[in-house]
This record gives sequence, structure tokens and C-alpha cells, in this order.
Amino acid sequence: MSVPANLYLAVQRRRNRGLTGLYLVVAAFLIVYAFLFPGLLSVNGFSKFTQNWFPLALVTMAQALMLLNGGISLAIGPMVSLGAVIAAVTMGGPFGVVGGLLAVAAVGLFIGALTGGIVAYLRLPAIIVTLAGSFIITGVALILLPRPGGFIPDWFSDLLAGHTPVAFGLLVLLLIGWKLYIATPLGLGIYAAGDNPVGAFRSGIPVERVKVVAFAISGLLAALAGLFVAAQTGSGDPVIGTPFTLNSIAGTVLGGVAFLGGKGTMRGAICGSLLLSVMINVMFFLGFPPVAQYVAQGLIIVGAVAIPQLTSQWRAKP
Amino acid sequence: MTNSMPLLEARRVFKGFFGNPVLKGVDIALEPGRVHALLGENGAGKSTLINLLSGALQPDEGDVVVDGHPVSRFSPAAAREAGIAVVQQELSLAAELSIAENIGLGASPRRFGLIDYGKLATSVAEVCERVGLTEPLDMPVGDLPLGRRQMVEIAKALYRKPRVLILDEPTSSLSAHEAGILADLIRKLRDEGIALLYISHRLNEVQALCSHVTILKDGVVTADQPLAGVDNEGLVRLMVGRDAGDLFPPRLEGATGAELINLKKFSAGLARDIDFHASAGEIVGIGGLVGQGQEDFLLGLYGAIPASAETSEISGDRGPFKSVETANAAGLAYIPADRKHEGLVLPHSIASNLLLPSLGRLTKHGLRDRAAERDLVADLARRLTIRGDVDRAVQALSGGNQQKVALAKWLPLEPSVLLLNDPTRGVDIETKREIYLMLQSFAREGKLVILLSSDTPELVHLCDRVAVFREGRVVATLAQSEISEEAIVGAAMGVSTKGAAA
Repeated sequence: MSVPANLYLAVQRRRNRGLTGLYLVVAAFLIVYAFLFPGLLSVNGFSKFTQNWFPLALVTMAQALMLLNGGISLAIGPMVSLGAVIAAVTMGGPFGVVGGLLAVAAVGLFIGALTGGIVAYLRLPAIIVTLAGSFIITGVALILLPRPGGFIPDWFSDLLAGHTPVAFGLLVLLLIGWKLYIATPLGLGIYAAGDNPVGAFRSGIPVERVKVVAFAISGLLAALAGLFVAAQTGSGDPVIGTPFTLNSIAGTVLGGVAFLGGKGTMRGAICGSLLLSVMINVMFFLGFPPVAQYVAQGLIIVGAVAIPQLTSQWRAKP
Repeated sequence: MTNSMPLLEARRVFKGFFGNPVLKGVDIALEPGRVHALLGENGAGKSTLINLLSGALQPDEGDVVVDGHPVSRFSPAAAREAGIAVVQQELSLAAELSIAENIGLGASPRRFGLIDYGKLATSVAEVCERVGLTEPLDMPVGDLPLGRRQMVEIAKALYRKPRVLILDEPTSSLSAHEAGILADLIRKLRDEGIALLYISHRLNEVQALCSHVTILKDGVVTADQPLAGVDNEGLVRLMVGRDAGDLFPPRLEGATGAELINLKKFSAGLARDIDFHASAGEIVGIGGLVGQGQEDFLLGLYGAIPASAETSEISGDRGPFKSVETANAAGLAYIPADRKHEGLVLPHSIASNLLLPSLGRLTKHGLRDRAAERDLVADLARRLTIRGDVDRAVQALSGGNQQKVALAKWLPLEPSVLLLNDPTRGVDIETKREIYLMLQSFAREGKLVILLSSDTPELVHLCDRVAVFREGRVVATLAQSEISEEAIVGAAMGVSTKGAAA
């Protein structure tokens, strides 16, 4: 047998091939959107659009990690809120913006790792643990900041959510980080542990550690999304993250990540979140009333899951 | 007989599950440069022994010995350290990952903390070449057919450069060509000085590859000897030889009634091109190794999975049934093997489980008729000797009594054909006997009983006829005096012994 010239690239190419359909749909929506709103093609328009998408992309990545692991998180939204609250409370403090950044990151990692530890070592279902976690985290956020407020320096808001595509740059950096992580044994272990935990254990994958690390990264991403939302709005709001829980699931599912664990790709999830974001914008420009937007969004998600299922059933018939 | 020191041994190991002993003092010694066969019927304890040898389970008593040193607290990780690799029957692969990533899983070469894909490609290509895997290394394992996945699994074990390689039915999903490559590979590994343990139901393979055999029966070693001079018939005799004792009631000699089932070229799931007929008053056995299409045959008859046939007649109906409802209406009842999940509602009472199939019939003015229900439950409990309070939850009952409830609930519908899927698995001796008597009384009442069983003696002592399945087809139909354990096991393993009219 011949050794492939570059195994890594060959594996990547194959993963892209399965997503061609999704790429085309996303491209079509982007073209429609650019047609409706030509401003998208200016630096300012692009910056604003990617800033709207950015937090959704982060929480979708966070949720995709959980689904690949064979779990799901209902605490994504509350984590976003907590991230926003901690940023708004600490950035006015003695350690300034850097202190606030570190505090948000530390809390995200810690809560994620703790949840992951409970799920992995006590063998409890992730959906229940994160449901309980969502109540606790919401409560903590409300205790820290009962009413929207706090302080975010203007220069920081301008940097992240101003007229430059900094957010997009950060997203690219995060994706590079993910690529590096998934190329480590621990990162690749997420797939094995999510798809076939017994087999992964027998193969020498530290299944529990893989889970805890994945949960920690997921918590970090959600908290950072909160930080960004706080920068966008210029203040902290203890319930601002609530819609992100369901939207993160929607983006992941649109991106073709399966609920059963170990099936799907992060690039698919990112595209799913982009699709969701563009869809909302397009409907807004087409003048859909907000209520109709919700209905359409739901129908599109059901369709996105049902169509591959139906086509595979149809193909399976002799 | 070689005098080299065994690389891996089990010494007088005992292991039980929930008070049910599976291994009762088993010894086995794997020597370098030897292919050792492990044989035994389903449930003889082979899998448990493999799990002990590979660290997946701990013995209750006795030792696992590596290089002459007993190991305490053996684990899969420790087994890997000691150079022990297992090719399990269930695969340990991740569907989304590529062939190369799967083979390297847990043991990939690294550079700066990242998987070194370059080095991985070279070393994986080497093992793939040895096992004859020619698919591109970047192909996701999920896209491969089952047989090729099995080859990936074997490559994965080899990648770890084992000193001891345990192969648990490695050829069950392989094509003849692939099995040939594997056989060559096993010989090469043997010559390299690796100790191999080979578990298979295919006796011809065992004869061709192995030089030593250990035979397990009911958790005890019945033979541990060189294979030279033992033929297939001899192996089969060593595997089944036991006395049935007085567990079985005397055989019933009764007249058979009208023909209830007549199938020509019936196919469902794994079962293919089955010709089958059976009449009222008969007990017809379905035998063979586990997973040869027997279950799909029953499910196909019952309309639970899609089935097709050239001609078919089931209970006066054209069939095959398209749904379970029509099968029920035609008088078929199916008692599943997995009673805990498919047969019973565990937290509910005995009474409500017994009533489930009849709820729709016992009504008065569209409401439940409590008095009729009470009478029915009392009647069923008496007929099936279900003792004690019928308001207890079913999960509190022993396996055997649960099975009786799962059986009894169908009786009010007066089924004419009972399809039983391994009704005595995990059932104690006493209840087994009660179930046997029950089956005989059904037959006497003029019902047709179709009994799928993994317990060969059961087929021998209860059935009027036995159809033996192998690879989805009926390879032998034995009647009356032809039925013997040797004939059934022989036919199931593709050995023609006396009396097995293939």
C-alpha cells in the first residue's frame, strides 16, 4: 500500500467533502443577503455583520463540543450571562480590563471543568447536570449584578465591537486553536469517547479526562461569548444570554452534528451558526415580523435534520 | 509440547455475576509461538475468560499470571503495557475518524504534543499492508463494510506490537479471501514467537491454524490438550458431552393437527430463502449458533421486520405479515428474549403486566371491567404457577418468574402460534422445568410452539423437529430420532455428523 503524501490534508479534504451541501446553502444565503444589503461588502458592514455572528459562533462551538462528546449543555446561555456580568463587574476594578479578561476565562474554565468532572466521574447524564447548572449559574449572575449595569471601558467596546473586523480575526484565531487541539491525542479522543466510549477505553484513551477537558473548553467559549456581548452592549446584563442555549443547539444541528455523539465536525457547526445568523438577517431584511421569524427558524431546523434522514431512507430502499 | 514459559496464564480463576458462577476454576496457559484454540458453546464462559486475560474484568478468585508473575489489580492499561492485545467481537472503532486515526487511537506518535500524521501514515501503512487493507488511510471507518472494519480492528491490535494476541471470533464477519489473509498472518505471527489465542466456532479453521486446544463447558475446562489426532467430531463431543439429568419432562407423543405455517423461500433480515412448515400440536426448535438469522426469522414471521416469500401461508393467512397487529390478529404471539426491555414493564405489578395485551377486550361500556380483570389475573396466575401477591412489581421477581409473566400475558388472546425467543436464558433450573411443562401443555392443547433456543439440550429433549440455522439459511432439519446434541452442534458448525441430513 502506498503511503499518502500528506495524510493530514487527505483526512481534512474528506471531511470537507461531506459538507459540500451545507457550504453551498450558506453561500447562497450570503449572496442573497449581500444582494439585499450591499453594505455587507464594505469594511464597516462586514464588521457589524461578523460582530452579530461572533457570539453565536462561540456558543455553537461550545455546544458542538458537548454534542461530539455524547452530551448536551443546557447551561450555555447562563454561562454567557455570567461571563457578561463578571466582565462588567471586574473591568472597573483594580485589575482593569486584563483582570476582567482573566476572571471571565478562569470562571468559564472552572465551571466547565467542574460540570465535566461531575458528568464523567459520577456518570450522570450531561443534560441533567447542565440543567441544574443553568439554574445555579443564573442565580449567581443575578446575585453578582441584580440589574443590568457595571462598567466596560469605551475603548474596549470600540476595539471589539467598533468599525473594524476584530471579532472576525478572533474567530479565525479560535479556529486555528481548535485545529491544533483536535490534532492532539486528547482532542481526537473526543470523537472516540463520544462515539464508542467502551472501545475508546479499551484503546487506551483516558475517556474521563477527555470529557473534563472538553467541558472546560466549552465553558471557556461560552464565558468569552458573554464577555463579547458585554463589550457590544457596554454593560453587563444578568439574563442577556438566555436565548443562546437554544440558538447554540440550533446552530450545531444545522451544521450536521449528531445528537448521539462522535458524529459531526466543528467546521460544520461554525457554518451552521453562520447560516442561522444570515437567515435571521435575511428574514429581517425581507420584512418578516419577528414572530414569523421564529416560526420560520423552527421549520428550517426541523427540515435541516429531516432532509438528510429522509434522503438516506429513500436511498436505502432497493 | 513446547517447554517455553507461558507468556500469559490464568490459574484456577473463578468469576461469577450476580451470584451466578460463570467460570469455576479455569486454567489456561498461552505459550509463545503457539496458536491456542479456545472452544465452547454459547455461554460456556469464553468471553468472561478473555475479559479476565485482558484486564477488563478481575477474577473473584485465582490469578492472572504474566511471564510467571501473578499480577494484582490487572487493568486494560496494564494488559497493554504487558503487550497483550485483544481483537474483540464488538468493534472498538470510532466511525467518524479515518482508518489511520483509528488504528493509532490511544497510541499515536506525537511531535510537539500533536499527533505526528507523517509518522502515523508510515507505520499504519505497514500494518495495513500486513492485513491486506488497501483502502485509503484517510477514509472514515464508518464508510467501510463490516468485514473491512474487522480488518481495521485487527490492524489496530497489530499496531501495538503485541506479544500476546487474543482473537475473539475474528472471522465471523470476514469474506473467505479476508479469512485466508488472516490465516497467513496468524501463521507468520506464530513464527515470530507471538502467543495467540484463537476463539472460533469454525472448527475447520481451528484445525487448520491451531496446535493446542482448551475446551470450556459450563465454566469448567473439559479438555486442555494438543489438537493433533482430534477430529472435528471429537471436538464437538468434548464441547457438548453432558447428561441432561431429569431436567426435561418425558417427550410428548401426540398427533399433529392441521398445517399452520408453510413457507417457501422466506427471507427476513439475516434469514434468507427459508423453506419451513409446521403444524398445530408441534414443538419446532430453531437452533444454531447465536446470530445466524434465527431471531430475524421469528421477527419476520411476526411482522416486526419486513419479510418476503415466494409463497407463504401462516395461520390461514397469505402472509408474510406487514405489521405486528395483523400477526396478533391471526393468532401469533411473540415472547422476546430480552424480557426486561421488550417483554415487560418492570416497575408495574404482575397483574398489570398480565393484563396489558387484554386491556382492550376486557371492557364494559368502554371502561375497564375490574371484575373480569381480576378473574383473568387469578386464572393466569394459577395456570402458570405464579406464586404470591400479584400486586408486586415485576422487577422484584426472579428471571424465571419474569419469563413466566412475559409468557402468560399472551394466553388470554388464545394464540394458535407461539414464537419463543430463548425463553430459558438466565432462568434457574426449577423454573426451566416449569416452562418446559408449560410448552408441552400448549402443544397438547393444539397450539404450535416455535422455540428458538441457544441451549442445545433443550432442543433435543423438547422438540419434535429442529431446524438448524447457519449463515442465514436452514442447513439441517432434524426430526425425532435424528435429533441429538452432536447433530445440532455439528450442523451449526458446518460439520456433517451422523444423523445430520443437510
